[in-house]
Amino acid sequence: MQLSIEPNNGIPIYEQLIRQVKFAVAEGVVVPGQLVPSVRELAKSLAINPNTVQRAYLELQNEEVIETLRGRGMAVCSGAKRRCVSDRQLLLGERLTAVVDEAIRSGLDVDRLREMFEKAIKQALRTEGVTE
Amino acid sequence: MSVAIKIHHVSKKFGRRTVLDNVSFEVPSGCVFALLGENGAGKSTLIRGLLGFHKFASGSVEVLGKNPTKETMQLRRMVGYVADQPGLYEWMTVAEAGWYASGFYAAGYLERYSQLAIEFNLPLDAKVRDLSKGMRAKVALSLAMAFDPQLLVLDEPTSGLDPLVRRAFLESMVDRAAAGQTVFLSSHQIQEVERVADYIAILHAGKLQVVAKLDDLKAEVTMISYSLRDPLLPSPVEFDRTEILSSSQTGRSFQLLVRGFKPEIQELLMRDSNLFDFKAVRPNLEELYIGFTQPTSDSGPLVPSPRTPVSEVA
Repeated sequence: MQLSIEPNNGIPIYEQLIRQVKFAVAEGVVVPGQLVPSVRELAKSLAINPNTVQRAYLELQNEEVIETLRGRGMAVCSGAKRRCVSDRQLLLGERLTAVVDEAIRSGLDVDRLREMFEKAIKQALRTEGVTE
Repeated sequence: MSVAIKIHHVSKKFGRRTVLDNVSFEVPSGCVFALLGENGAGKSTLIRGLLGFHKFASGSVEVLGKNPTKETMQLRRMVGYVADQPGLYEWMTVAEAGWYASGFYAAGYLERYSQLAIEFNLPLDAKVRDLSKGMRAKVALSLAMAFDPQLLVLDEPTSGLDPLVRRAFLESMVDRAAAGQTVFLSSHQIQEVERVADYIAILHAGKLQVVAKLDDLKAEVTMISYSLRDPLLPSPVEFDRTEILSSSQTGRSFQLLVRGFKPEIQELLMRDSNLFDFKAVRPNLEELYIGFTQPTSDSGPLVPSPRTPVSEVA
């Protein structure tokens, strides 16, 4: 699991951590039962405050993405993947809403917006087709 | 929560120039606390006073429960300190510097020092005078950390160091904090502070501008930008319900840093037909820093002036 933190992009660091861990689980980069790095290890390797990592891990525990294995550390929960996939969709939905919102507010015609949306979908499918 | 450093109404003058003006704050134990401020803001003066290098003109300080000017020797045995220009004996080798310092600390110091020096890839038999700036800084850090101090004080630890050495310094700081020790540092590297700090304090021209938990500060301050269709009409009054920390204007576009911005205020603003291209985002530390050190850049007649909130928004 490769995490990268951008301290100054406006999103709090612990939130960036939560998102990236969830995305890694959703992608299957880390699988249920697999251990995640300890707070101290992760803090040191990313050079970020350990309390920030702790906060992110607590939140991930509350959301049942990771759990404590007694004496062994923290591991990805079984069933976490499904939750992370739906969380990712939620987050994508939010971003999409923000883009649509901006488009409408900037006075873009709705039909024109639909056209752009369709075009973006087609383009994405095309690139996907090439890489497959 | 116990307190590592207590600073109580501290002032200091050099000649007639006031360097520190009635500064008060506390550093909780077990956190990374960063002191920010421009060159000459008084950061080093404050730090040196905390270690008993000089007395403050007024006010009092307590570091790990000690009075720095009365219990200097005891305190220095408890605090690891890396000065902005570490004073090392030029003629000693890296190994000798550690051996020399070990005389002041409990047994085990030398072993730990050698271990740190090896981790930092320092050449043990090289003379200090032949070391680069980065290597000297690593020697100073190894000396400061070799006795596992409860409190590590770093005065601009990473200024002038290359990215790899800076990274090593940051990792060491983070590791200290993870072990429950307190790290107090001054810095200009805002991005680094944003990564590692729990708390920040901003000094500007000897005065404390703000002291806060970094996450809280980011959550309560909003950066707002908007433009006015007709710049001759008055600015929206809704901003009166927030505390404006700073504001700037370019043409008919405005940027404000405000505390206490609420969604209700945003809703009211969105109904203002004179207002367009409105954005409200969470500021990063650099924007906060600039906001707190240069309140109101070019205040034209349209810019609301900074003021304290008239009434709290419920």
